[in-house]
Amino acid sequence: MRRTNGFGQPRGMRRTKGLIGAVVAGVALGAGAAAATRALAGRPPRPRPSGWYAVTVTTAPAALTGAERPDLLAWLAEHHEVRITPAPGGRGSQIAVRTDDGEIRERVRALKQLLETGEVLRVDGQPEGHRTPLGQVGLPTMRQLMRRGAR
Amino acid sequence: MRALCWSGVNEVSVQEVPDPRLLNRQDALVKVTASSVCGSDLHLLDGYVPTMMAGDVIGHEFVGEIIEIGPDVRERRVGERVTVCSIIGCGRCHYCAAQLYSLCDNSNPDPGFLEKMNGHASAGIFGYSHALGGFAGSHAEYVRVPFADVNAFPVPDEVADASAVFASDAVPTGWMGADLAEVRPGDVVAVWGCGGVGQMATMAAIQMGAEQVIAIDRFPERLAMAERLGATTLDYEQTDVLDALKELTGGRGPDKCIEAVGMEGHGTGAQYAYDRAKQALRLQTDRGLPLRQAVHACRKGGIVAVLGVYLGLVDKFPMGALMNKGLTMRGAQQHGHRYIPMILKRMARGELDASHLLTHPMSLEDGPKGYELFKHKRDGCVRAVFQPAV
Repeated sequence: MRRTNGFGQPRGMRRTKGLIGAVVAGVALGAGAAAATRALAGRPPRPRPSGWYAVTVTTAPAALTGAERPDLLAWLAEHHEVRITPAPGGRGSQIAVRTDDGEIRERVRALKQLLETGEVLRVDGQPEGHRTPLGQVGLPTMRQLMRRGAR
Repeated sequence: MRALCWSGVNEVSVQEVPDPRLLNRQDALVKVTASSVCGSDLHLLDGYVPTMMAGDVIGHEFVGEIIEIGPDVRERRVGERVTVCSIIGCGRCHYCAAQLYSLCDNSNPDPGFLEKMNGHASAGIFGYSHALGGFAGSHAEYVRVPFADVNAFPVPDEVADASAVFASDAVPTGWMGADLAEVRPGDVVAVWGCGGVGQMATMAAIQMGAEQVIAIDRFPERLAMAERLGATTLDYEQTDVLDALKELTGGRGPDKCIEAVGMEGHGTGAQYAYDRAKQALRLQTDRGLPLRQAVHACRKGGIVAVLGVYLGLVDKFPMGALMNKGLTMRGAQQHGHRYIPMILKRMARGELDASHLLTHPMSLEDGPKGYELFKHKRDGCVRAVFQPAV
């Protein structure tokens, strides 16, 4: 008696077809993976950040060089490579600091505020309502992340 | 002191919080006499603005009295009654000098989130999330105002709080919309949204000489208010807006379109259902149906001004229409400082009155109820305004 697989086909045929299907799928997958590998290998490398963090300040370049320069700028220049160039259109100066450090970015921003407004704006110590335990932990972290800015 | 805090999505509560204090030398402390809800608060309430934390004091549109000033405040005085701009400017950076105060470089001390999201950070705003600076808001008995000389404006005696409070945000935002749209005598202007900002844009467009202003909304009481201001009105639930605008403008379309709705735009039909579904699934941050309509409706070569608050990404934006029709599109958080002195003068002379927006004066303790009425537009609520001293 001929044994069928329930679809009117001999049992062995279903096995054979399944095997062919698996081979076809495997070949297709392999070809796809190879194409993807070629595409990835062929694409240009991901651009790397310049490593400079730059701000424009309304202050003239002359006030940012020499003995009159602010202490914070002097400190930055002592510890990091700092580039000061005139901003086009009479917009003041461009201060660029070579750094990937969030804390330094925060100091550069503070320098800009000091130069332009005379003080660094604070938000810590304001009224706030009930913070959840998660908020008590999360808020200082979130503030620090946003203050330093992710690159 | 008592303050209204964001406690979670669709949840606000009045809490006892520490009194504010001067944190910077250019700060002032203001005793709040009136603080209004604003449509943009609803994005905070509905949970669409990230970086809100339970316990944040909300509110950004307010008037009050100066009770203390820092040592470097030169122009403001204790005892002055002031309208404070909802947007915080430093007054000295390149952008403030160009009167683009909402682009201030120095008033958002925590700019990282916006820099990542938008390329650059914009100005700080009172009570409007930690991404916008994390400043405590004005739904409180007292509020600290940074750069007080720049951000606080003396209110003439003739102007009551009921009108002066809207000189903080709704009126200058609306005025800026008509300004960005370069409304000129003879223009036909369409305004999407008849909330406080949309009505003030309507009023400004009329005062700037627009020949016709067409105001679009669905709530009868708001449409009636716009009509009283002199607008022709369209109920978008009853009328096909694009069709009606063509008919009303002889087939041209409005010369200037002002969108005063924002990221939670309402509408009808499949497009609205699609937007809601995508926003609910977090596949887009903002619903943009009225914005798409404005771009589609605007006449060739016209200007679209966007006043509604958008957070991030709008799907299916008709870029082809914008480009091929040669449209100009502008938007901004309000550069209020540019307009507030002029607005207060007009209010004092009786040429401009916004007090009709104040439909629900309330105590601060009624804050949660006020937001409930405002959010669901119940009881004809256009603006609930909290008076902490009551």
